[in-house]
Amino acid sequence: MMIRKVILVAVLVSCGLHITGTSTRAEDLFRDRIAPLLERRCVGCHNDRQREGEYSLQSAQAALDDGYILPDDPAGSHLLDLITPENGKTAMPKNNGSLSVEEVELIRDWIRGGAKWPADVRLEVPKVGDFDWWSYKPLARPLAPVMNDSWAKSAIDDFVLAKLNEKGLTPSPPADRRTLIRRVTYDLIGLPPTPEEVATFVSDTDPNAYLKLVERLLKSERYGEHWARHWLDVAKYADSCGYDKDKLRPNAWPYRDYVIRSLNEDKPYSRFVQEQIAGDILFPDTPDGIVGLGFIAAGPWDFIGHVEVSEAKIDGKVARNLDRDDMVSGAFNTFCSLTVQCARCHNHKFDPVTQEHYYGLQSVFAAVDRANRRFDVDPKTAKRRRELTGRLNALTAAKAKRDSIYLGLASEPSSDSNEARRDKIQSYSDQITEVESELHALPPQASVYAAATSFPPEGNFQPTGGKPRDVFVLSRGEVTLPGTLAIPGVLPLSGVLPWQFSPELGEGQRRAKLAEWFVDHDNPLVWRSIVNRIWQYHFGEGIVATPNDLGRMGALPTHPELLDWLAVEFRDGDQSMKELHRMIVASNTYQQSSADNAMNSAIDSGNQFLWRASRRRLSAEELRDSILIVSGAMNLEMGGPGYYLFALEKTEHSPHFEYHKFDPSDKASHRRSIYRFIARSQPNPYMTTLDCADSSQSTPRRNETLTSLQALALLNNKFNLVMAEKFASRLESENADLQSQVRQAMALVTQRPATETEVRELLVYAETHGVANLCRLLFNLSEFLFVD
Amino acid sequence: MRERNEMNNRRSFLTHCGAGFGALALNAMLQHEAAAANDGVVQVLHHPAKAKRVVQLFMGGAASHIDLWDHKPMLEKHHGQASDFGEKVETFQDGLGPWMKSPFKFSPHGESGKMLSEVVEPMGEHTDDLAFIHNMVGKSGVHSQATYLQATGFQLPGFPGMGSWVSYGLGSMNDNLPTFVVLPDHRGFASNGPKNWGSAFLPASAQGTAIFPQRDNPIEDLSAQASFVTKAGDSAGLSLLKRMNRRYQEERKGDSRLEARIRSYELAAAMQLSAPEALDISGESQATMKMYGLDRIGATYPAEINPAEEAEYFGRKCLIARRLLERGVRFVQIWSGNDNGFPRRNWDSHENIQRDHGPLARGMAVGTAALLKDLKQRGMLEDTIVLWTTEFGRMPSSQGGTGRDHNPYVFTNWLCGGGIKGGVTHGASDQWGYKPLDRSSPTQVYDIHATILHQLGIDHKRLTVRHNGIDRRITDVHGHVLTNILT
Repeated sequence: MMIRKVILVAVLVSCGLHITGTSTRAEDLFRDRIAPLLERRCVGCHNDRQREGEYSLQSAQAALDDGYILPDDPAGSHLLDLITPENGKTAMPKNNGSLSVEEVELIRDWIRGGAKWPADVRLEVPKVGDFDWWSYKPLARPLAPVMNDSWAKSAIDDFVLAKLNEKGLTPSPPADRRTLIRRVTYDLIGLPPTPEEVATFVSDTDPNAYLKLVERLLKSERYGEHWARHWLDVAKYADSCGYDKDKLRPNAWPYRDYVIRSLNEDKPYSRFVQEQIAGDILFPDTPDGIVGLGFIAAGPWDFIGHVEVSEAKIDGKVARNLDRDDMVSGAFNTFCSLTVQCARCHNHKFDPVTQEHYYGLQSVFAAVDRANRRFDVDPKTAKRRRELTGRLNALTAAKAKRDSIYLGLASEPSSDSNEARRDKIQSYSDQITEVESELHALPPQASVYAAATSFPPEGNFQPTGGKPRDVFVLSRGEVTLPGTLAIPGVLPLSGVLPWQFSPELGEGQRRAKLAEWFVDHDNPLVWRSIVNRIWQYHFGEGIVATPNDLGRMGALPTHPELLDWLAVEFRDGDQSMKELHRMIVASNTYQQSSADNAMNSAIDSGNQFLWRASRRRLSAEELRDSILIVSGAMNLEMGGPGYYLFALEKTEHSPHFEYHKFDPSDKASHRRSIYRFIARSQPNPYMTTLDCADSSQSTPRRNETLTSLQALALLNNKFNLVMAEKFASRLESENADLQSQVRQAMALVTQRPATETEVRELLVYAETHGVANLCRLLFNLSEFLFVD
Repeated sequence: MRERNEMNNRRSFLTHCGAGFGALALNAMLQHEAAAANDGVVQVLHHPAKAKRVVQLFMGGAASHIDLWDHKPMLEKHHGQASDFGEKVETFQDGLGPWMKSPFKFSPHGESGKMLSEVVEPMGEHTDDLAFIHNMVGKSGVHSQATYLQATGFQLPGFPGMGSWVSYGLGSMNDNLPTFVVLPDHRGFASNGPKNWGSAFLPASAQGTAIFPQRDNPIEDLSAQASFVTKAGDSAGLSLLKRMNRRYQEERKGDSRLEARIRSYELAAAMQLSAPEALDISGESQATMKMYGLDRIGATYPAEINPAEEAEYFGRKCLIARRLLERGVRFVQIWSGNDNGFPRRNWDSHENIQRDHGPLARGMAVGTAALLKDLKQRGMLEDTIVLWTTEFGRMPSSQGGTGRDHNPYVFTNWLCGGGIKGGVTHGASDQWGYKPLDRSSPTQVYDIHATILHQLGIDHKRLTVRHNGIDRRITDVHGHVLTNILT
């Protein structure tokens, strides 16, 4: 970089001196230096199509005819005024800062030298058209290295060990059984094992003891509850809309339950993906085909921008543009780990996504809004309702036609007698009544907040009825600068299905084609994306450390062959997440101890190459759930509307979520944290302090911080205090004496027997300050918060 | 970029730094960690700083520039005549009634002769310290998006507030109070609530800590509210906890997080002692209390909005802000105005400027003037930047005869202290206060943020964090330092 700069200055100086030489030389200067500079900094807006400020720099004629550039006359060239700083500010370029002094001088010299612009040189709008990047390459199944090492007992171990050998690292010994059951239980179901489960596993002599344990955990419904939280972090799920007047979404939860159910059922991934984009079209009559569409609606929504402001106003257009942006970026960040949203304002600077591609994606979602959508819980009912609705429409149309014939409104005359006429009309009416009453008798429908094209209008928020809105390619992303009409499509990733759709394609079909494209066998991103996410939740860091971005701004894979191997195994197998978990947790790589090793640490302190397990802090939900479990307060009831952890006030205007007025002894709240009502505009302070995800941004990986406010929360939050008392009552009711209470408490919190020193110290403390204070203290143990 | 990238922050250090550091260096880092709850990522300032602290005064609901700071004689002249903007105008509620002069009188103040409205008259004595920016433009007339834009630099949710960026960049100046404190309007949050000061993708240590001085726990979970909790139990419990956590840590060498956790309890204990002291205004002199409008605490107020009550509420927040700044808090954000509901206790005066803007502005001006004076007499204004801002402005045309609709096309900010030149105006609005006089070069929030960071010694383009594939910064791809308002 430094060297290039030096050369640039050198060229510039020499050109400045000799520019009056041959025109060829001046033309070379233009080709080599000026053209790339103009393309990079100016042509993005000043091109023939957009003509920002009525000016294009795309061709010699356009650029020179407008008087901004006067050849041989730098002082008279207005272009130079615009790019030269005045009071530290330049008029142009509008974005990304001024040109450097050297760059301005380069342009000045070029103008002074006659502003030579060879007629054959036409500047191009900058875009990345280069698919030469690891994640865009087709997936192929790499051969696992042959390690001939007893440590490596699976392909995963082979790949990992090969890399460890290459880096001069050695694997760690296996974790002890108590550590292992605690780790795998938290990883798979997000809860601690009970002391009995630990004892059983530790003393189990069956060589398959560990695999039996894994099977038990994968069968548990707690599994779906835990892994749904990971998915909902990425999908930005919440139970309110966010923005101003943060309106409640009382029907968002069926989507949350759908995710839990789908994971517990181990639904094949391609089905899971397709349901969330176009389930209504691809799987008609299935409840999951509708409820899955909650994914599209999961993110924030601006009530005022949609309901109070008309779509004809700029603010209304902005709100709808940003709304579709949320849908597009949600789908692509989640399923493809590609940051397409960068192309909203300009062609993507690093990945091959142009503005045309991006707005093509927006037009896939151009007919849907976020609203309550009704569905039948029973597929049989759904089918019946569809048939009956079809018949009703046909009958109504037939009756209307008959009416118009009899009234003489139709061209077709009728010879029917009056009586025959009455009978025919009556017969239609009877049939209509019959169908209507049968429709009426069907079980009532449920509602889910999802992508919808038909819903009761509210103010300016009107359903499209399935007719896609016009989406334009917006210059700089501004709704006031529309360009051409966008053509719906996907992305031209090499080797995947045709990427542009017919503009006439109906709204549902657009989504269906997108869904099919996502799960296409040859889609290079989608399979890598999902196996990388699952890997990350087991090891703390993905094979690619940026799970929402496999593009050029993302990290490189540490184990590229392993990633591809996993992706192909997953895609070509049953696309079963549970099978993937099995492969991962059965590996020796996963079962290593987390203990430090100075030799390894000196080479790879961050454990990128997996020479040990990574110790991790519990997530906010895992911690809260663990407190409920050990206190004996947990109610494991599944599903349904989210419970409140706040007093809800003033809902008529903007709901006030008053956390400090909530009483945590309310039994309705003693359920797993996945079922809490998530208020988007006012996140729960306790959970936020523990690094819970912000539901306004896709969170592929949680931060892990340690702050004094966190210490205060664990010591003093009313929830912890109430649970400390519950825990104390549990201990007192289950044990005859204080010493057994102390021993049980330690076993519940740490899954190991207390040492005699600990028993002695804790006993003294409990005798003096009571069991509730003892329990409160135990909730603050690092050993409780961390998983080895 | 091509190598494996990590979020360059403290968490990542604490998580991943192990034996790569010599034991001594690591130890020194941890000592440092202990002294300040969290250090900034900007270890060496990009250039010498003029300021260390920031106060951001945020008027929720959108305060009218033309009724407070930006005098418009043309409105007086054409009051009541049909408004004509010379172009098609889009407003939020179509409030394009006749031109409406301000219901408040304007008079000149200070050597600069700056015309101020009578309702902000207490600010008159400071006009020569203020730099007004009358050509601020927003991007949206929708409260939520506009509030996000001014608070976080983006009109979408999910971005860190300015205080979070500053905390993330510069870290803490104290070891017993939060770095970034927020004093919300206790009657309700403005649009977006706590999302305006959330850390979003920055570490949680950079989030704003909301303080409600009148609550039992002015800071969330500062003290335990339960009958079984005792002082003796806490003190014995904390020392036992420390012993047990220490044993756990000693068995797991090379993991600095476990050490940091032990320290976090010591810092928490320090905060428990110092926060109540910082919030206790009972030792302030009569004169100080009067200056901040706090000389009638305990008085009952009428149901209607009134200046004395507003002054007490805003003044208390300003006084507490000064006490926090004195104790090393780096960034204080004070909010005026609740959730835009009714009756109006917010600046969203669609119905009646005189009724609602009058008392709110007077209360704000009393507290703000006192804060500036107090900081000045303590020698702190020199290195404390004060920013007065809002969502957007209000229209020069009337709505329903006495109110004004939203005006995202132009509004006013002012800055003061921390190396900001006083008695100057940067940019002007047009004769009506409808749009900037020079429409081609307005001022935007990016410029304000860039300028404040600049005064703090930070180049706004260099304070970035990669998030989901994009190097995020508070100024997005924009921002120019307003050099002509700097001393």
